[in-house]
Parts: sequence; C-alpha cells; structure tokens
Amino acid sequence: MQGPAPSSNATDAHFNLTSGGATPPQSQTRSGPRTFAPQSGFAPWKNPIKPPIVRFENVTKRFGDFVAVNNCTLDIYEREFFALLGPSGCGKSTLLRMLAGFERPTEGRIIVEGQDITDLPPYERPVNMMFQSYALFPHMTVESNIGFGLRQEGMAKSEIDIRVDQAMAMVELMPFAKRKPNQLSGGQQQRVALARAIAKKPRIMLLDEPLGALDKRLRGQAQFELMRIQESTGTTFIIVTHDQEEAMTVSSRIAVMDKGIIAQVATPGDIYEYPGSRYVANFIGDVNILEGKVSAVSDGVIDIAWADGPGTFKTRSAENVTVGQQVWLALRPEKMRITHDKPEQSENAISGKVDDVGYLGSISHYHVRVANGQRVTALRANSAQSFERAITWEDQVWLQWPADTGVVLTK
Amino acid sequence: MNTRFSWFNATSIALGFAFLYIPILLLVIYSFNESRLVTVWGGWSTKWYASLLTNEDLLDAAWVTVRVAFISATVATILGTLAAIVLVRMNRFPGRTLFSGMIFAPLVMPEVITGLSLLLLFVAINFDRGFWTIVMAHITFSMCFAAVVVQARLLDFDKSVEEAAMDLGATPVNTFMQVTLPIIAPAVISAWLLAFTLSLDDLVIASFAQGPGATTLPIKIYSQVRRGVTPEINAISTIMIAIVTLGVLTASFITRRAQQRASAGAK
Repeated sequence: MQGPAPSSNATDAHFNLTSGGATPPQSQTRSGPRTFAPQSGFAPWKNPIKPPIVRFENVTKRFGDFVAVNNCTLDIYEREFFALLGPSGCGKSTLLRMLAGFERPTEGRIIVEGQDITDLPPYERPVNMMFQSYALFPHMTVESNIGFGLRQEGMAKSEIDIRVDQAMAMVELMPFAKRKPNQLSGGQQQRVALARAIAKKPRIMLLDEPLGALDKRLRGQAQFELMRIQESTGTTFIIVTHDQEEAMTVSSRIAVMDKGIIAQVATPGDIYEYPGSRYVANFIGDVNILEGKVSAVSDGVIDIAWADGPGTFKTRSAENVTVGQQVWLALRPEKMRITHDKPEQSENAISGKVDDVGYLGSISHYHVRVANGQRVTALRANSAQSFERAITWEDQVWLQWPADTGVVLTK
Repeated sequence: MNTRFSWFNATSIALGFAFLYIPILLLVIYSFNESRLVTVWGGWSTKWYASLLTNEDLLDAAWVTVRVAFISATVATILGTLAAIVLVRMNRFPGRTLFSGMIFAPLVMPEVITGLSLLLLFVAINFDRGFWTIVMAHITFSMCFAAVVVQARLLDFDKSVEEAAMDLGATPVNTFMQVTLPIIAPAVISAWLLAFTLSLDDLVIASFAQGPGATTLPIKIYSQVRRGVTPEINAISTIMIAIVTLGVLTASFITRRAQQRASAGAK
C-alpha cells in the first residue's frame, strides 16, 4: 500500500511478539503443576499449613429469586493483594459487601483470622472499606474525615492527630487538611477515601472499584500508589474491579467471577496463560478459540481434530482428556505468527484471508477469516518503520503457532 | 431567553403582585390608623399596638398559638423525620407502599375532614378538648409536610456515606447523630419552620380541636371579626404576618444555602 522503502528486507518473523521475552520460559511451563513463575517468592496459598486471613465457606447470597453469590468458597491470605474480577452483576461487590458486613449471607460462613464474623455488624469487624463513590462526609474537613474512624474508637486526641497526619502524609494530602470534600478534585477525594480507611490500620482493606471514577492516566498512577501503600503497610487488600488490566496490574491473585460463581482463582500470569475455561479466557485479554475433538493422546501431546476446518492441531498439554472428547483450543493473538508464505516447519498452521487490519502504531491487529468463516486474530509488533511486505486487506495468509502455546479447555 | 425589560412583563408582574398583596398591605396600613372606625382613615398612630398589650384575651390567644406551634412543630418534625428515614432507608417491609401512601394522604385531605375526624376521635375517647388536643391535631397534619421535606433531602443522599460511617466503627446511633443528622439538618430545620408556620395560621383544624380552656389567635380573630373588626385585630394580624414572613424567608434561605453547598459538591 506504500511505495517501496529502500532499506527494508526484514522478514515477517522478526516482527513477531513470540520471539520476544513476553512469554514465560517454556521449559518450565509444562513440567509439574502448570504455573506461571511469579515475580517474587510470595505465594502463601501454596503453603498447606498457612491459615488464610479470610475464608468464605460455601457462601450464598440470594436477593429474592436472584442468586447474587452461589456457594462460593475462597481463601485469601495475609498480605495478599487479592482481586475479585468480573462483569457487572457477577456478584463480586456482593461478596465484598458481605465481608464488610453490609449484607448477610443467606447461607455459609465468613471467617476472618479464625473468628466467625458472619453475624457481626459492620462496626465490629476488623475490616475497612474504600467505597466506589468515596462516601466522604461532606460536612467534615479532610482531617476530620480521616480521623472519624479513630474517634469512634475513643482514642486520645493527641494520638488521633498523629495517626491522621501519618495517613495524610502517606497520600500527600497535607496541604488540603482543612478543606471540605467538595473543594477537592476527584483524585484528591479518592486519596481522602483511601486515607480514611487506612488510618484505622485495618487487618483487611476492602476496595470497591476504588479507581472507577478516575480518568485513565490518573488511574494508572493510583494503581501504583495502592500497591505502594499495600506493600508498605503490609495490609491485606481485597479489590473489586471490572477492569481486567487493573486486576492484572495490582493483584497477587485474581478470582474471576461469573454469575455468582468463582470461575477461577490464580495469579495474573496463570489466569492469562492458563485460563481454566472459555469464559475466563475470553474475559481476560483477547483470545482465539478453536473447537475440536481429541483425536489422539500420546506422551503429553494432544492431537485435536479441528471441528470446522481441515487440519489437526498438536498441543503439548497435561490436560486430562480422552480420545473423542470435545475440547476448545485457546490461543492468544500475540502468540500466533502471521506470514504470507506457508510455513515449512510448523507444528500448527491454518490459512485464511485478511478481513481487517487494525493499525495501533506500536502493534497491528490482523483479523483473519479462516476455513469455517471464523475470525482469528493475530497481533504483530510493528518493529520496522517501513511498510515493506506489509500484510493488508484481502491478503491470503498463514497463521502458525508452536505446540506449546495454547491451552486445551474442556468447558 | 429574552431578559430585557418590557412594559408587558412589568405590567403583568405589577398586577399579579397587586392582586396578592394589596389586601395585606391594606391591613397593615389600617393597623396604624388613628381612627376607631376601621374603614375611615384618621391619620397615623401606633396606639392600637399599645392597647393590644392590655388586651388580655388576645395576648392569651397569641401565647397559646405560639406554644401550640412550637410544640407541634417540634414533635411533627421528629416524627416526620423518622417516617422519612423509614420510607427512604428501609427497602422492603410489608405494607411499605400502604405506609408511604398513608403518610402523604393528609396533604390532600380537606382540612374540614381532618378536623372533623379528630373531633369525633376526641369525643369518642372522651378526651377533654383544650390546649393538648390542638397540639395533637396540629402534629397530625403538619407531620406529613415535615416528612415530605426531609424525604426529598434523603432521596439524594448517598447511602454509602452511612455505610462508611458504620464501616469505620460508628454504631447506628452514632452514625445517625454524627453523619446523617448533620447532613440532613437544613431539611429538618426547613421542615420545622414549615410546620411552625402551618400551625400558627391554622384556623379550620384548630376550631374543631379547641376547647373552652384554650383558643388560638386565628380562632379569636375570626370570632371577633364577626362582631366587627377592631383596629387591634389589624395590629395583631400585622404582627402575625411579620412572624410568618420571617419564618418563610428563613426556611428558603436555609434551603437555598444547602442547595448551593450541594451543587458546589457536585461540580
């Protein structure tokens, strides 16, 4: 589509993201339990004798006929930054509100530090919440908002002043101490709400869509501020969000929820690389899902006969499947290579016609219509400046991926 | 919008205000009349205000009226505020729709019927009519006005503010005293002033509920007028107009300031 650029003879393969460092070391991924190596050694959920700080035991919440939370069992550990992720109406906020004490579980128990708190009122629980609307007290200054919780404890005034100052310093609110909430910007109000909850030094901090009202740029900053405060105070944070990027950024583990059920609990890396179901794969990031039947299982390699087109896909997977079983192969767009020429040596390849190209500057999205009319998306980094041999609309292309990318899903 | 001065607009406003206020103005002017005859102007004087001070009957009635208004406004505001909180805060309880309909029914109920039914009640339970029956009657009808005013404020009040207070360790009582009440205070004060004013100038209901021991000023004036208007009545009416005006102005000032504060918070 552009005139020939003189200096480019780069091949398609060089642009592909899979050649970069974005994927986990592949030797590690399929041996033993399927996990994505976390960045730090922090993984209390792997320690069988470590008691959780919060335990939801078969918790169900019904509003009339509507089941908001359906038999959820979940352990959250001390110092975790735990995310409850899901679309609106999936029950994530209800789960959090039950922990705060604003809703009573219809069935099940909630245990915090070994104590059953199911019947405790909100004001007797060792948790504090940061509200989506911030819920600041409009008639109080920033200082007295932050000190409110401490005054309820009957703490000495001198002690309250120290704690309020600490909290204000932590979120850089000192210059606004005497202002009322309506004299603050959205970002400042958000920090007051955070400081007010953190001033109580709760064992567990609950955050209900805490950054939902901020614009994108501010939200990015606020996410890192939350992580910094969480680490420096050593508090257990539980955040509710519908923003998967936010959950991936801040949390140690994510629980993906769907219609009141916890679909999967895992680290951000594991959720992304090894989703447990099509729902989770679709919810976190973009994914291509190819339907098929298991045609052979041998030595850790599963052969899948594509249901909608010619070809068999090979996948190295420890997934327990039987021949003839219906499965879905989930492939992340950035792990698929797109080329004009048929690959000579590739374990998996399908051909198709480019339907749409989305040029985003740093990367391009290619939507390719394959055999059955399904659209498969591939991503490519635009690492060269020229448009030489650029893949464009209506091009006949090949999509290929190695056998050790992709996840076999049975539901 | 055309905001320029036009003779048409000016005339219609002048006529409108004249229609509303000329009778009242006339009454105020005649309260300063020197002449004993109400309809004949005899020059300026404040003597009727002075003679009012010696008219025990009227002063008694005025004192009863103020006490009735104060007590009934206070009780009505408390009950109305509680009713509004229940209506807004409690999501579902059996009979909620019935309750919310019933609390506002007295707003549209003809006063004669309210008064008559109260009279029947007092007679039926053999309750001696007097000061306290007037108070009770006034509480009954001004409570719903108070509930409407407070409910309007509660409806645009973020419930999570109360949840935040409880989350931070405040018991329900502390939450109400330290958070809910300060936030709805302007509405509660407006409600009180409204109830006070309503009670102050009520004639119909009070005349059903009154007894030999206690008569309110409006009843007194009404009964005296039938025997001919005296300039003293004009004087006391002027004082009542002043009190009511002051109450209405204060109420609207408080409401306006609360609205300004709320809109400043919303920006």
